[in-house]
Amino acid sequence: MKNIYEVRSANKIKSTIIVVLFFLFVLISVYFISEALGIYLGYKPGGFGFLGIALIVSGISTFISYYFSDKIVLGISGARLATNKEDKLFMSVAENLCIGAGLPKPKLYVIEDTAPNAFATGRNPEHSVICITTGLLDKLTRTELEGVIAHELTHVKNLDIRLMSIVSVMVGLIALLGDWFFRISWRGRSRDSDDKSQLGAVILILGIIFAILSPIIAKLIQLAISRRREFMADAGSVEITRQPDGLISALEKISSDTEALEAANKATAHLYIVSPFKLNTLGQGRTVNKFANLFNTHPPISERIATLQKMS
Amino acid sequence: MIYVLIGIILVLVFWVISTYNFFVSSKTRIKASIQEIGNQLKRQADLIPNLESSAKGYLKHEKGVFELLTSARKQIVGAIESGDLNKMTKASSAISDLLPKLTIAVEDNPELKADTVINKLMDELRDTSDKVMYSRRLLIDLTADYNVKRVSVPSSFVASMFKFDELKGLETAETGDHVTVSSDEMKSPKVNL
Repeated sequence: MKNIYEVRSANKIKSTIIVVLFFLFVLISVYFISEALGIYLGYKPGGFGFLGIALIVSGISTFISYYFSDKIVLGISGARLATNKEDKLFMSVAENLCIGAGLPKPKLYVIEDTAPNAFATGRNPEHSVICITTGLLDKLTRTELEGVIAHELTHVKNLDIRLMSIVSVMVGLIALLGDWFFRISWRGRSRDSDDKSQLGAVILILGIIFAILSPIIAKLIQLAISRRREFMADAGSVEITRQPDGLISALEKISSDTEALEAANKATAHLYIVSPFKLNTLGQGRTVNKFANLFNTHPPISERIATLQKMS
Repeated sequence: MIYVLIGIILVLVFWVISTYNFFVSSKTRIKASIQEIGNQLKRQADLIPNLESSAKGYLKHEKGVFELLTSARKQIVGAIESGDLNKMTKASSAISDLLPKLTIAVEDNPELKADTVINKLMDELRDTSDKVMYSRRLLIDLTADYNVKRVSVPSSFVASMFKFDELKGLETAETGDHVTVSSDEMKSPKVNL
């Protein structure tokens, strides 16, 4: 039995450890891949040319998606602005929870879809967006809805959207570097291969190893961070509402719903409160497949509910 | 060597400044959250007369509920005028105390239960009491964060250096009915269906 404050600090520590590990990993692998690339093309070790280009390419693409994330995601999912007339319940619940969390009121959107789900986006609390489906409004009670919206508000409060954007710049950076490495070495344009020093050879081998493995590992750590932030948001939701039962039964309802959310796709899946791809979540109801779990953006519902039950 | 020393000092100074700023800004936020409680109570006081007049026709036979609504409004208005946090706390629970009574009255009258005006009244009352409850929650959370940081190492050094006092936050009596459990409350409830 842990109270919410203990859960909060435990979550914070775990999350910080993963994030720090992730950045260390990215630093090391990016260094070796770019060094190896340089050596392969006949430069002396120590240049940052390729690293710089990859950082710029990956950075710009993610910056655009980060800065306009709200507009892009809302555009993709076809959401409309919530109105006081149609979505009174949603408006008042969100407003009340913002008072409790001490956050500015986010822009509220509704997707016309009977599959119940919700997500939050936006680069900071001042530009945040919370979006829910009409299915969620119809199927949940007020207490359950409060649990879901408080979960989304915690994502906003913890700046999760910003963190995940930075992480995806890093993952994109590694993927780009790895890709370039193999493209260039495939052509085999090594100019002065006899000039290689022993250090250069070692770095080259390390570079090959990192180029193969690190895109996968980086992606896996990214998913682990995403799952950890979901746990944090669940705990944060309880911190605001003090009613774990609301979120528990909401999670049960959302995950047991068999409809797939049409508006969601792979790019936006990690944003939702419950993964919109039902195949992933349903299979894990009884036995949690640890290996399959590694590739999920969300922790299994059963595990989330078990964690929440410990808090009540 | 000298650069390392300068670096350490810079980090330390930066830490002291940011911790000091945490204390100052949370003090301001706590003050603001007290104002928010008053603000929500004001909204409640403005809202009640409207609700009263719109539901008057429906609640003719429920004089008791009606009187409670009126006295709750008076209490809230008085508390806002006094500006005293203690009085505001007391007044803020007036509406949430009223809700169960109203629910019973509605449950007893099937025709009331189906009526949209009454349902709207109940929704509005729950909403306004939620708003007041959450504004109190913010005050509680902010003062808890502030007070924890004030006594925990290492931020306690900054707190004692600049004499940041403990803040009381939401004042509740430390003794009384709400911290004791009577023998009646220990019995598991029997429900007759």
